Amino acid sequence: MKPRPPAMRAKRRYILVRILPYGTTADQKQVYLSVVEAATSLFGDAAVGLAQPAVVFCDGGYAVVRCRRGTEKDIAVALATVNAIADERAALRTVAVSGTIHALRRRIKPIRPFSEAGDVKFGETYFTVYRYPRQKVDLVEKGIKHQKSLFFTEADLEER
Amino acid sequence: MKNTDASIHPYPAGDSTLARMALEASELGFDSIVAIGDAGDQYHGIKVLRGAVICAASVKEVLRQVRSSAVRDADVVFVNAGDISFNRAVVAVKEVHVIRNIHATRRNAFDHVAARSAAERGVAVDISIAPIVHLRGTKRQKALQRYADILSLQRRYGFGLTISSDARSMLGQRSVRDIRGLCALFGMTGAEVGEALSSVGRITEPHRPVRVVG
Repeated sequence: MKPRPPAMRAKRRYILVRILPYGTTADQKQVYLSVVEAATSLFGDAAVGLAQPAVVFCDGGYAVVRCRRGTEKDIAVALATVNAIADERAALRTVAVSGTIHALRRRIKPIRPFSEAGDVKFGETYFTVYRYPRQKVDLVEKGIKHQKSLFFTEADLEER
Repeated sequence: MKNTDASIHPYPAGDSTLARMALEASELGFDSIVAIGDAGDQYHGIKVLRGAVICAASVKEVLRQVRSSAVRDADVVFVNAGDISFNRAVVAVKEVHVIRNIHATRRNAFDHVAARSAAERGVAVDISIAPIVHLRGTKRQKALQRYADILSLQRRYGFGLTISSDARSMLGQRSVRDIRGLCALFGMTGAEVGEALSSVGRITEPHRPVRVVG
């Protein structure tokens, strides 16, 4: 099929979002389903159908959401109402909006935990400690599914 | 205090500590937060004010609770809204700064009489973004209706508004830009959002006439 000439193509906007909590291994399809559910429940089928949201990239704690030009503000608001991805608590933070994916890729700063992960015990529960830049410490309950997470700082952890 | 998140609930009420939520707030564009039931201090350049929430069924109970040490030590005192007579009476209590949980009340629970009284006594009404973020369907629609109603009263009578994330986790906190977008859903303009975000500063440090001392 012959592609449309550039002047006839729909103009797009791309929104870079950071996925919280850090270390969430979100599947692209699951992120898309969460975004569409949030947008549809907020603006309805008609508005979301015109906005054509899609997740075109999802890796390293970031995702790029595509939408039609002019609807990026509405989609950004809808992204703020995302609470969960695949039944796991999550939040999406809008980082930047651009007309090209290339420009957004330059804004991606991968956030990886420092190598030394440890263990800590609160009450009867064991947590795995993940340390991140800016003295952020995420505690993830040891288990198989639906583990509880606590969000501390280095100073909080030293106090306990 | 230009941008203040008017209430957060740090650990142990939530899953994130006060320092972590303050760190998150600084990244989200806030310069101060009100922590419910936690000690006030400075974390990562964020001013942390102490907040207290009074949950009472009657004004008598509110008057009893405002005398407690936890409430007296608080920088900002919140009262959970109730029925129409309760709200009309509670805005007249001197120690009360903000009425919150307004989205959970009946349609006319905060009416023009309470609005006028709130404006005269400098009592603000809290707009929590938590119902907009977390609720879906008719419950969120009702919350948006209530906020639109409060906004129309605010434009008419000029009482203060505060905006809070009501977050119990750093995942529940939202950026100033997100809050502008979420508040636009019920017709709040950018200028009104800016005014509401800075109103906690006016509550804690109200403008008073200059007094000549000595």
